[in-house]
Amino acid sequence: MTHTAAPPTAPRFAAAWKRRLLDGGPLVALVALILIFAVGNPAFLSPGNMGILLSQLAIPLVIATGLTFVILLGGIDLSIEGVMATSSLVFVLTAANDRNDISLGVGAVVLGILAGTAMGTANGVLNVRFGIPSFMVTLGMGAIGIGIATVLFGGRSPRLLDPALKSIGTGNTFGIANIFLIAVIVLAIGYLIQRFTKIGRYGYVIGGDEGIAKLSGVKVSRYKIAAFAIGGTTAGIAGVLVGAQLGVGSPTISQGFLFTSITAVVLGGTLLTGGRGGVIRSLVGVAIIIVLGNGLILMGVDSYVQIAVQGLVIIAAVIATGWRLRTRVRVIK
Amino acid sequence: MIRKSNQRIIGAGIAALMAGAALTGCSSAAEDAGNAAPVTSSDVELIQGVRSLSNAYHANWVDGGDLFGEFADLEVITITDESDSQRQLSQVRALGASGKVFALNVDPNTSSDTEAIVNAVTDAGGFVVTQWNKPDDLFPWDVSDNWVAHISFDGRTSGQEVSEALFDEIGGEGNIIALQGILDNVPAKQRFEGLQNALADAPGITLLEDQTANYSRSEALTVTQTLLAKHGGQIDGIWAANDEMALGAIEALRAAGLEGQIPVVGFDAVPEALEAIEDPASGYIATVSTDPWWQGGAGLAIAYQAATGEIDVAKLSHEQRAFYGSQTVVTVKNVADYLQAPPLDKLVPDFENPWLRSQGAIK
Repeated sequence: MTHTAAPPTAPRFAAAWKRRLLDGGPLVALVALILIFAVGNPAFLSPGNMGILLSQLAIPLVIATGLTFVILLGGIDLSIEGVMATSSLVFVLTAANDRNDISLGVGAVVLGILAGTAMGTANGVLNVRFGIPSFMVTLGMGAIGIGIATVLFGGRSPRLLDPALKSIGTGNTFGIANIFLIAVIVLAIGYLIQRFTKIGRYGYVIGGDEGIAKLSGVKVSRYKIAAFAIGGTTAGIAGVLVGAQLGVGSPTISQGFLFTSITAVVLGGTLLTGGRGGVIRSLVGVAIIIVLGNGLILMGVDSYVQIAVQGLVIIAAVIATGWRLRTRVRVIK
Repeated sequence: MIRKSNQRIIGAGIAALMAGAALTGCSSAAEDAGNAAPVTSSDVELIQGVRSLSNAYHANWVDGGDLFGEFADLEVITITDESDSQRQLSQVRALGASGKVFALNVDPNTSSDTEAIVNAVTDAGGFVVTQWNKPDDLFPWDVSDNWVAHISFDGRTSGQEVSEALFDEIGGEGNIIALQGILDNVPAKQRFEGLQNALADAPGITLLEDQTANYSRSEALTVTQTLLAKHGGQIDGIWAANDEMALGAIEALRAAGLEGQIPVVGFDAVPEALEAIEDPASGYIATVSTDPWWQGGAGLAIAYQAATGEIDVAKLSHEQRAFYGSQTVVTVKNVADYLQAPPLDKLVPDFENPWLRSQGAIK
């Protein structure tokens, strides 16, 4: 009978630790990647490369922060590239540029971001009021964004001529890339909204079970629209940043950012079905993708093999971190 | 009397509606075409099929077609597929609906779309010239006389020439890095092959590393930053498989405080690249132009001549029906010629003899 003396809390205690370890899976994967690359090529940890990593991290991090709010609701925002394209052109065309005589300075930044906010809000309203699934609304909005950008583009990229705005994209402050500092501010604001406001807290409830949220009297529509507006705003910020970084506005400037940011959010551990995750997790997800892209080049992995290796690492990371959740990730039938 | 030509863009929706009509109307049109009865020039519809007007290259192509329209005193209609193969095909199928004989000059969205497009044109009794994309083993004479010709550009030649311009700039000795295009894209492969051929002839030059940046400016910025960190001060020149990537590389150099110190070359002659080449401080030293105005105008000229019966397609040689057009390396010396559309009289010889710039048969 002495066998039963084992404290009943032990399995629960172990389970809690196991859960904590699995929750930290993406972080473990990130640290492992950093170690492998640091051993593979000492240049990886050089101050120069660290600076480059931070600047490369910035724009996907801004997008992923806003996208996290949308995915937490169980929605998706596929309009990011279109919104970024429109924002980049609105920004460049209202700042000092080689196409017209407008020069609004910081006003151009605000207009570029507002263009994103407007499109994000439209996403939310169409999704909620007309009951159109988010992937469809945002896919359409993305096409509208590329269309608006194409009209504004008019066959030739307008160039940004304002040196102060250009330095947002390419300059440094205390040796750290300005765009990274901006991304950190965006992330911090995103974290505060998520942690301390109703938009953030109800986001988890709605993502967990929208029906129950509604029955509990949560004004679901309002918070959903807010989440899409946040997603549009960060895509707008990203559009302005990429415009400032490359010094032009263009409909193709945002190519590839959608895939990177959705992958980053999911890799970080935010469930596509909603209800679980957060912006800090997305930071880890973005870091994994950026470190992978940079590290594989430093290791001298052949271009032809690199894409496949990236895909493999991403799948492996998702399996390792999401194994425990496999029944809950109901989108995977 | 010269009538100003207009361009009209047929929306996808209209095209889709018309596609149904084209399918029912095509059988009778095909019978008419079988006789290849000569038609008067005013009965011919001139049509350009390009990807999108949002890029300068295709916009210039369309302008070149309008110059031909001015030359032939006909309106030119433009259809754009916005990178959607299905949309392009349904638009082409809709063309025969009006019953007029049409001359189409088209940039097929992908190689695998070409066969469907030329078959649709054959069924409708029109005449088509394709450019850039076609399956390697499919030639116009295998399909029909309605597929008049295919024009492409040999990336190996231009790749070698622009690489040599880069090597000369760094004095024939040093290390370079290369940014490749989309890895399974034919021009990207040919351009890189051209670089490798140039490297074989230049023992003083070492290719430190090649990486793909998928033709994208922001990816090229990222990859160039990483390569600068990896190879430190060893890089003397940067080769990019298109201008977008070359411009991204220049932004990376600017961010690293190296702008103008490391020469960069690209391909395609987009306006921004040409402007950068005009400014010696940018470090952008050369790009390659296929002359999009010529592509738009001369391609249309071939299809038009076939439609009016001015040329007998069956009597054209294989070299006339599948040929490489000429390309020019654009440097600070000749950049002014590529910044704006040429005057019509400069292209008239090419409209009268569209094969003037042939560089030989595509094999």
